Amino acid sequence: MASYLETIALPHLPPSLPVHVALYRDVQNSAFLKQQLLAGNAEFEYALIDASMVLSRAHATSAVFRAVNDYIHERLKSRNVHSEIVFSLSPTNNIADSFRKFGITDSTKDLLVVKVSESPEITHDSVATHLGSSIQGTPVPFDDETLSKISDVGKIKKLYKLGALPSPGQGNAAQGDDAKRRLELSLLGAIALRGS
Amino acid sequence: MAEYKPPTLPSPFTNTTPPPTLLTQGAEAHVYKTASLDPAIPAALKIRPSKPYRHPILDRRLTRQRIIQEARCLFKLIKEGVSVPGVLALDWEGHGGAESGWGGAWLLMEWVEGAVVRVVLERWEAWMKQNEASLNPVQREREEASARALLKRMGATIGALHKAGVIHGDLTTSNLMLRGSPQDNTATTTTENGASMKGDIVLIDFGLASQSVQDEDRAVDLYVLERAIGSTHPRSEPFFDALVQGYRESHRGAPSTLKRLEDVRMRGRKRSMIG
Amino acid sequence: MIGIGMEGSANKIGVGIMLHPEDGSTPQVLANIRHTYVSPPGEGFLPKDTARHHRAWVVKLVKEALKEARVSVDQVDCICFTKGPGMGAPLQSVAVAARMLSLLWGKELVGVNHCVGHIEMGRLITGATNPVVLYVSGGNTQVIAYSSQRYRIFGETLDIAVGNCLDRFARTLHIPNDPAPGYNIEQLAKQGKQLVDLPYVVKGMDCSFSGILAAIDGLAASWGLGGEERAREDAQAQNAAAAAADQNQDQDSKPTRADLCFSLQETVFSMLVEITERAMAHVGSKQVLIVGGVGSNERLQEMMGIMARDRGGSVYATDERFCIDNGIMIAQAGMLAYGTGFRTPLKEATCTQRFRTDEVFVQWRD
Repeated sequence: MASYLETIALPHLPPSLPVHVALYRDVQNSAFLKQQLLAGNAEFEYALIDASMVLSRAHATSAVFRAVNDYIHERLKSRNVHSEIVFSLSPTNNIADSFRKFGITDSTKDLLVVKVSESPEITHDSVATHLGSSIQGTPVPFDDETLSKISDVGKIKKLYKLGALPSPGQGNAAQGDDAKRRLELSLLGAIALRGS
Repeated sequence: MAEYKPPTLPSPFTNTTPPPTLLTQGAEAHVYKTASLDPAIPAALKIRPSKPYRHPILDRRLTRQRIIQEARCLFKLIKEGVSVPGVLALDWEGHGGAESGWGGAWLLMEWVEGAVVRVVLERWEAWMKQNEASLNPVQREREEASARALLKRMGATIGALHKAGVIHGDLTTSNLMLRGSPQDNTATTTTENGASMKGDIVLIDFGLASQSVQDEDRAVDLYVLERAIGSTHPRSEPFFDALVQGYRESHRGAPSTLKRLEDVRMRGRKRSMIG
Repeated sequence: MIGIGMEGSANKIGVGIMLHPEDGSTPQVLANIRHTYVSPPGEGFLPKDTARHHRAWVVKLVKEALKEARVSVDQVDCICFTKGPGMGAPLQSVAVAARMLSLLWGKELVGVNHCVGHIEMGRLITGATNPVVLYVSGGNTQVIAYSSQRYRIFGETLDIAVGNCLDRFARTLHIPNDPAPGYNIEQLAKQGKQLVDLPYVVKGMDCSFSGILAAIDGLAASWGLGGEERAREDAQAQNAAAAAADQNQDQDSKPTRADLCFSLQETVFSMLVEITERAMAHVGSKQVLIVGGVGSNERLQEMMGIMARDRGGSVYATDERFCIDNGIMIAQAGMLAYGTGFRTPLKEATCTQRFRTDEVFVQWRD
């Protein structure tokens, strides 16, 4: 199976902390993966995100940035940097609630997986190997085009209390682009301002 | 006299390669150009350093309040569809403890490519001064119409800002940008200058912004801009009525704000003090 | 050129004599005499009583000043007096005295803006050439910068003056008005440790103090820290050196009187430094000059110094001889105007409670 695992050096973050991201569709073993998380299985310490709650690459990146920045400044609100990434997607301060809404569920079909290289042993290859053997699903590119097919805009807008915003995909192309930009920036703002 | 030292960047921007470029250093904040969270897309980074003259508790309280206030205003305006840079990331907590740590705060915003209206108007005024004699009435009319149209769009954008319940607090032609306008003066060589005055108006620098829907606050916002235009762009001052017109058509509350503007003008700042 | 300066816009009456040497060298202070009307603790000075005080002292001070300066009446070129701003009755008593001396001695009068007097004296004493000026006193709070023949007000208080805020809180605490309520607050604040939360009101380059005063008066009342009784305990505690330390043992608990003074100073001075810095950034100046009675506060000077240092500049401040209202500052500003040919005819030698700094045409500067 072709691997789309992408290793990203986010601007402004230490080069020693690259982030590995993979997007899957038609995931078959979500219940198992969630179980590993709940059991605290260290091998499965990932940010496992319900990809339908992700609007775009910038949306996901923004949550990753916030979590890693909080991690390097030693102010995580949750257990580890990976749970913090899921929490960072949330516009509210309720951690358990953020896992329920943005995290993997037993029925998750589209899954975004994020792993931060907290230690030198965690490399692109080690992550690729482990994911290849652990996730039963179809790897797809982590890009806006793919995400646009996956994201549940209505649900995202509801969770972020942005119901009044126009939805992308309505009106002509220019209006659609503008709506997408406005919604995306609103999500980024909500993530940045959480807890303020 | 102490030797000038450029401000130091806080973490995590110590990692940033290439390092952020310092653009302006005001009383409150330093503004840099750097990358957004996507290395291919630029962003503006505003840093509010800690002020060592203040008591550390008061300092953190103020720095935090203000960066959050600014970010909240931008967030609100983005949601309302007003043309401002969006918030990309924010840090109000500082780090490393109250004693030895960094007590500042930062805000990463969308980069706006274009020129500030101050430059656009200065360019236009200089061009007019140079070419005035050779313009026929039609050309002159067309040039002035472009300037009026620019001010009218400024008025409409400020109207949208006020309609959204935000007061800018420091409206000058340096805090209004014309998206896509060239930053240098090359446009002055064209025979028709008005063309360089097209583009969307974007409001920037919300460091003194607040949320209010009071006519008084809105009128003072406009008055501050009127005075700034009067002192910086004397030739464009007569076009302020175009700005007022753009504002008047922008939202339902505009007429009562403009009525209050008359009072604010009368009052001016001529408040006498008892010594 | 020799000039007499007469100041009495508030509770101090000052008479000063200045010499501006003909060769253009540095002006000299020949005499600087002052007497302060001190009201009892818990009370402010009332215009009527202050005016009576000034009338009772003015002749004595003029005589004393001439004696100290070793100057005879013949040598005097002009009589400078405070035209305003200030309290009506005290201003009047000094203006009447100035007119009387003008007629008696046949000398010309120069009416002076009190604020401009502070600025010119500060520039003379400190050597600051073109500073942003923070003028802070019991009656005024202004951030000023010079531009084309005017001292322009960039920012100011929207309600009461910072000195008024401090003085009135001193009354709440029954802190003595001798030598000055602000001075006694400054001393008490040195023992303060705990910062209590107070409103912080800055709008652009303007600021407001009335809300802070109401808040801290409220805190003093709710903690039972105001009034005569506590003031007496305080005075006794000062004898026992350990008392202050004891008071501050448990942090974050009940604030002490010292804590309130400390918090008030920290808050209002931060506001002043902030608006000054904003003005400096606006006009591109690296110098800051602090004038006015509150300007003698060492904590304010220290904070301003840190700010100026971080901007690569420096702060200029003077001590109480020149900061606090005095006669020589009136002489200094008056003589600068006199030198450019400015005169105040007798029938215009009145005074006014309201007289803005930017109304004065500053012909003596470039």
